[in-house]
Amino acid sequence: MAYGLFLGCLIPNRYPGVEWSTRYIMNKDHLNVPLVDIEEFSCCPVPGIFYSVDKETWLTLAARNLVVAQDEEVQLLTLCNGCYMSLHKAAETLQDSKKRSEVNKVLRGVGKRYTGEEVPGDGRVKQYRPVQVKHLVEVLANDVGIDRIEKSVTTPLTGFRVAVHYGCHYLRPSTTHTIENPNRPHLVDDIVRACGATTVEYDEKLACCGAGGGVRSHVKELADALTADKMKSIQAAGADVIVTVCPFCLLQFDTAQLTLPGINTPVVHISNMLALAMGADPLFLGFDLHNVSVNPILRKLRRRTTA
Amino acid sequence: MSGETEETFIGGQKTLVVEEKVVLDKEYDPEFVAEIVKYGGRDVKTCHQCGNCTGVCPYSLKTLYKTRNIIKMCQLGLKSLVLQTPWLCATCYRCYEHCPEDINAAEVMIALRHIAVRDGFIPDFIQRVTRNVRQYGQSVAPAREVEILRTQLELGPLSYAKPRYGKTINEVQYIMRAMGYDKLVHVLDEKPKEKAAGAAADQAAEGEVR
Amino acid sequence: MVKIRIGVYVCHCGSNIGGVVDSKAVAEYAQTLKDVVVARDNKYTCSDRGQEEIKQDVKEHKLNRVVIASCSPNLHERTFRRTVADAGLNPYLFQMVNIREQVSWVHAGDKDAATEKAKDLVRMGVSKVRLLEPLLERRVTVEKSVLVIGGGIAGIEAALQLSSLGVKSHLVERTPSIGGRMAQLDKTFPTTDCSICILAPKMVEVGASPNITLHTYTDVEAIEGYVGNFNVTLRKKARHVNMDRCIGCGSCAEVCPVKVPSEFDMGMGNRKAAYVPFPQAVPLKYTIDEANCLYFKTGKCQLCVKACPTDAIEHDTIDVLEDLRVGAIIVATGFDPYTPKVRDYFGYREFANVMTAMEFERMVNASGPTKGHIVRPSDGKTPRRIAFIQCVGSRNKKIGNQYCSNVCCMYTMKNAQIIKEHEPDTDVSVYYIDIRAHGKGFEEYYHRLRERYQIEYIRGRPAKIWQDPQTLNLKVRAEETLLNQITDREFDLIVLSVGLVPAAGTDRIAGMLNLSKSNDGFLQEAHPKLRPVETTTEGVYICGCAQAPKDIPSTVAQARAAAAAAAAPILRGEFVIEPLVARVDEEACVGCGLCVEVCPYKAPRLVKGPVGQKAEIVEVLCRGCGVCVSACPHHAIKAEQFSDEQLESEMMAALKAEVR
Repeated sequence: MAYGLFLGCLIPNRYPGVEWSTRYIMNKDHLNVPLVDIEEFSCCPVPGIFYSVDKETWLTLAARNLVVAQDEEVQLLTLCNGCYMSLHKAAETLQDSKKRSEVNKVLRGVGKRYTGEEVPGDGRVKQYRPVQVKHLVEVLANDVGIDRIEKSVTTPLTGFRVAVHYGCHYLRPSTTHTIENPNRPHLVDDIVRACGATTVEYDEKLACCGAGGGVRSHVKELADALTADKMKSIQAAGADVIVTVCPFCLLQFDTAQLTLPGINTPVVHISNMLALAMGADPLFLGFDLHNVSVNPILRKLRRRTTA
Repeated sequence: MSGETEETFIGGQKTLVVEEKVVLDKEYDPEFVAEIVKYGGRDVKTCHQCGNCTGVCPYSLKTLYKTRNIIKMCQLGLKSLVLQTPWLCATCYRCYEHCPEDINAAEVMIALRHIAVRDGFIPDFIQRVTRNVRQYGQSVAPAREVEILRTQLELGPLSYAKPRYGKTINEVQYIMRAMGYDKLVHVLDEKPKEKAAGAAADQAAEGEVR
Repeated sequence: MVKIRIGVYVCHCGSNIGGVVDSKAVAEYAQTLKDVVVARDNKYTCSDRGQEEIKQDVKEHKLNRVVIASCSPNLHERTFRRTVADAGLNPYLFQMVNIREQVSWVHAGDKDAATEKAKDLVRMGVSKVRLLEPLLERRVTVEKSVLVIGGGIAGIEAALQLSSLGVKSHLVERTPSIGGRMAQLDKTFPTTDCSICILAPKMVEVGASPNITLHTYTDVEAIEGYVGNFNVTLRKKARHVNMDRCIGCGSCAEVCPVKVPSEFDMGMGNRKAAYVPFPQAVPLKYTIDEANCLYFKTGKCQLCVKACPTDAIEHDTIDVLEDLRVGAIIVATGFDPYTPKVRDYFGYREFANVMTAMEFERMVNASGPTKGHIVRPSDGKTPRRIAFIQCVGSRNKKIGNQYCSNVCCMYTMKNAQIIKEHEPDTDVSVYYIDIRAHGKGFEEYYHRLRERYQIEYIRGRPAKIWQDPQTLNLKVRAEETLLNQITDREFDLIVLSVGLVPAAGTDRIAGMLNLSKSNDGFLQEAHPKLRPVETTTEGVYICGCAQAPKDIPSTVAQARAAAAAAAAPILRGEFVIEPLVARVDEEACVGCGLCVEVCPYKAPRLVKGPVGQKAEIVEVLCRGCGVCVSACPHHAIKAEQFSDEQLESEMMAALKAEVR
C-alpha cells in the first residue's frame, strides 16, 4: 500500500529542510519509496494540547485525518513522534465500535465516515482494519531495510560522531508502540551506522528532551533543564552531532542550547542525515534556519571530499 | 495562621514559619477518583506506592513534584492539593512502562488536566495553539522567512496558502465547535481567561515556538 | 409399583436462610405437593437433632424419597447422604435443593420473591426426586504404593512420611541426585541452619529406607489409569555408569577433559561431563552427560573407562522404560528461580556485577564455585557495598507474575546476615516495597538483624540501573519514598531477589494428570482453604512449591499432609467411587467415538464387542460432567441423576408456576 506523507505542522513551518530531505531520500534515484502528497491533512492534532484538554476532540480531529488517509487508500508515514503517537493511538482507539460511532456522528457533519481501510476479502461482509500509521524509522528499517540504505549511500559520513536521540513517543508506551524494545532500542543507531557514521553511547540516551507534554510552552525553563542534562551527557561522550527522529525534539535541542553557554552541538533530523549520506547538497537541507550552526560537521564532509 | 518566630534550635535553625500543616477531613473528596477514571485515568486504587514512577519521571528529578505523591493524593481524593501541580508532565510514559501494578500515571495526569481545564485553569498557550489551528489548520503559525526558504527549496506553499485548504479549515473549525472545544477553552472570548498556576505566562506569550 | 413417599425438609440455617426466606411457608407449600407425605422446617437440618428427625420420619412414615432444602451440596450433601443411608434408604434417593447460596444469599433485598423462588426450587427438587433410582457405590481396590514425583525437600518428606506409615513409595527425580533446590541453598531462614547439613541426613534416610524405591535421573514418561490403579511408565535415562559397580570415588571426573557450566552452581562454576551434581548427592553415583561427553560426540576419549577402578563406565547403555502400578500420586515438582530478562531493565547478564539471589547462594556456599568467598564477578575483589533489589519477577502485573513469592524478603535478610558475618566491613542495602515477615520467628529475625548489624532498608523500587564503564560499579536511581527524595547511589555488587516460578516440567506432568493451574501458574488445589493438598483428580495430591511459593517449614508440613492424604486410600485398601457417572446404552451406541474425543478426563473408550465397536465409560475416571451426554448424536449416554427425563421434569416443574 502506498505511503501518504504526513508532514505535521512543525516540519513545513519551521524545518522545511526535513521535508526536502525526506522527499530526496525517498525519490526514485535513491530509496525509491513513492510518497503520496495529500493536501487535506490538518494538524494531527498536537497531543500536548488537544489530548490534554479534551480527548473526545482530539479523537475526532485525528479521525478526520485518518478518514482522509482511508479515502485516499494510503498508509500514513509520519516524520514526527508526536504525530506518530497521536494518529497511531487514534487508530487503535477507533477499533472500538462505540468510539467509532460517536466519532462518526460528528464527522457526518463534514461528510466523512471512518471505517478503517478495507481488507480484501471473499465474503459478503466488508472487513476493515485500522488505518496503518508508521514512523519513518520503522519504514526505513523494516520496509526498506538497512542493506538497501547502505547501498544507497554515496557520501559515507565518516568521522561523524553521532549521539542518537530516540525521543519518548517513538518508544513508549511499549504496549502500543511496538517498533522496538523501549529499554534497548537500536534501529536508528543501525541507520546512522549504515550512513557510515559512528554512534556514541551516552548515559542519558533514553532521557526525554523536555519539549513534550506542553511543558516547553508552559514552563520553558523546565524543558530546558532537561535538555541541559542531555547536552551535558552528550558533550561528555564526545559527540559532534545529535540526530533525532522528531521535529519537536529537534526544535528543543536547536533552541535550548541558546540558554546554555559553551554548548553548541548541531542537531539534525534522521532524514537530513540520510540525505547528506546520499549525496544531497547541504544547501538544500534548510540548515540556515537552525539556531545551532550545522557547519562544524559539514566541514568534516567537505574536508574529506577535497582530500 | 502564619507568623514568624525567631528561635534557636539545637541544629542552629534560626527562623521558623508557623503554619497549619494539618490536612482536614473535609479536603478528602470521594467523587474525585470517579472523576479521574471518567477522563481516562484508569483506576489508581491499586497503587501501593513503590515509587518506581517517581524514579523514572524526568520532572520529578527537577521539581518538588513527585509522581507518586500525586497518585496518592488522587487515591485519597485530595483534589485541592492535587490541582496545584498537574501541568508538569512530559507524557513520556516512563511511569507506565515501569509500574508493577500496570497503572498509567501519565494518563492520570492527562485526566487531571481535563479536570483542571473544566475548573477554569487554562494556560495561555492552549488558547494560542487553538487559535492557530482554527486559523491555519495547523498548530504553528507560519513565519515569513520559512515561506521564503520553502520557495527556494521548491517545496510549494504552506497548506493554509493553498486554495482548496479552506475546506479543511472549515472542517476543523466545525469539529472543534461541534465538540464544544471552543467553548471549553474560551478561545472565542475577547480576553484570554487568566490561568491559575505557573509563573511562566510571560514566557509562554513570547511565542509557542522559538 | 411402589408408591412414592417423599419427605421434605426446609432449613432455616439459623437466620442465614430463615432471615430472608420464609422457610415455614416453604415447608407448608411443600406439604401440598403430590406424593409429599411429610414436610417440615427446622433451624439446623445438619445438626444431630435435625438428622435424627429425618431418620425417624423415614421409619415412621415409610419414606422412600427425601428432599432437603438448605445450603450448597458442596457442604452437606455427603452428610445428608449418610443420614439417609443410616435411616435405611439408598443414599442416592435423596435430592438436595440449594436455597441459601442460590436464594437467601443473593436475593436478600426481596424477601417475598426469595420465598417464591425457594418454593419453585423445592417443587423442582420434588419433581426430580420422584425419578431418582437407587445407585450403588463402587469400591475399587487400591495398589499399595505411592508415586512421588520430585526429589526435593517436599518429595523427600512425603516419601519419608509414607515410609513411617508403612506405605511403600517410588520417589522419582529427573536430576542425578535428590535434594532439589534446598540442596543448592547455603543457609536457611530464620535459623540460619546450614541447608545441606539438615537436608543430607534426610536424603540418606531416603536412600536407606526399604519402603522407598529411589529412581534418580528418571523422567515420568506416561501415566494412565485412575485412583488406586495408576499405570506409570518411567524413563530411566542412561547414566552410562553401572549403579551397582560405581563406588562414587570420582576418578572418572578427575580425568574427564570436558568442562561445562554446572546447573547446580547456576552457571557460576563448572562441572565435568562425568559428574555428581554436589558432594552430598544421594545416590552417590556418577553420571556421564551424554550431550557433552567427548566420546559421544567424536568417538574418542574414554579416559574415564581407563580410570575407573571398578569398571563401572558403560558408554553403550540406553534409556530404559520401566512400568509401575501405584495407588496414588504426589506431585512435588517444586520451583525454578525467576530468570530476569537478559540485557534489559536490571542489566542482568549485561552488567557483570549483577546477579540473582540463587547465583549469590551458590557463591556464598562453601562448596560452591568461589569456595564461599563473596566476590565481584568482574574482578574477583570483595564487594564493599552490596544492594539487594526485592520483588524481581514478583508482584509485577506487567510481566504477568502478580503474586508475591513469599520467601524473598526473608531470604534476603538471611543473605544480608551472611554477608555481614563474612565481611563485617561491607555495607548492605535492601531496596524494597514491603517487608513480609509473616512466619514463626520471622519478625523477630528481622528485628534482630537490624539490631545487630547496620543494614539499610530503602523503600523504593529502583527506576534505573547503570554501570560505570571503568569500575563496573553499578549506580541505582530510586525514589526513597520514605524520604520523598530521588537518590542515586553507587554499589559494587547487586543481587536481584528473584521470585519463584513453577518448575519447567510441571506443565507436562499436569497435562498427564489433568491438573488445573491457578491464575498464578502454579498447580491448583481442590479448595484453597480446606483441601490444600488434594486436587480435583482423585488420588493425585500436590505439595510444596508446585502448589505455590512457600518456605521450607511450610513445604515440610504440606508434604506430610499430602503423604497422609495419599496414604488414606492405601491403608484402607479400597477407594469409594461416587456413582454419579455417565453410562452408555450399548444398543443405541454406534461406536462413532465422539464421546472419546470430547471427554476431558479420558473416561470413555471404544471397545470391540460382538456387534462392533461400542463406547464404554470407565467409571472411576468419569466425573459426571455430562459433556459426552450432550455430544452423543444418538442420545446413547445417560448421566446418572441427570438423565433427560430427570432434567425435563425439573424444567416442567419450574414452568408450572403461575405467570406473574
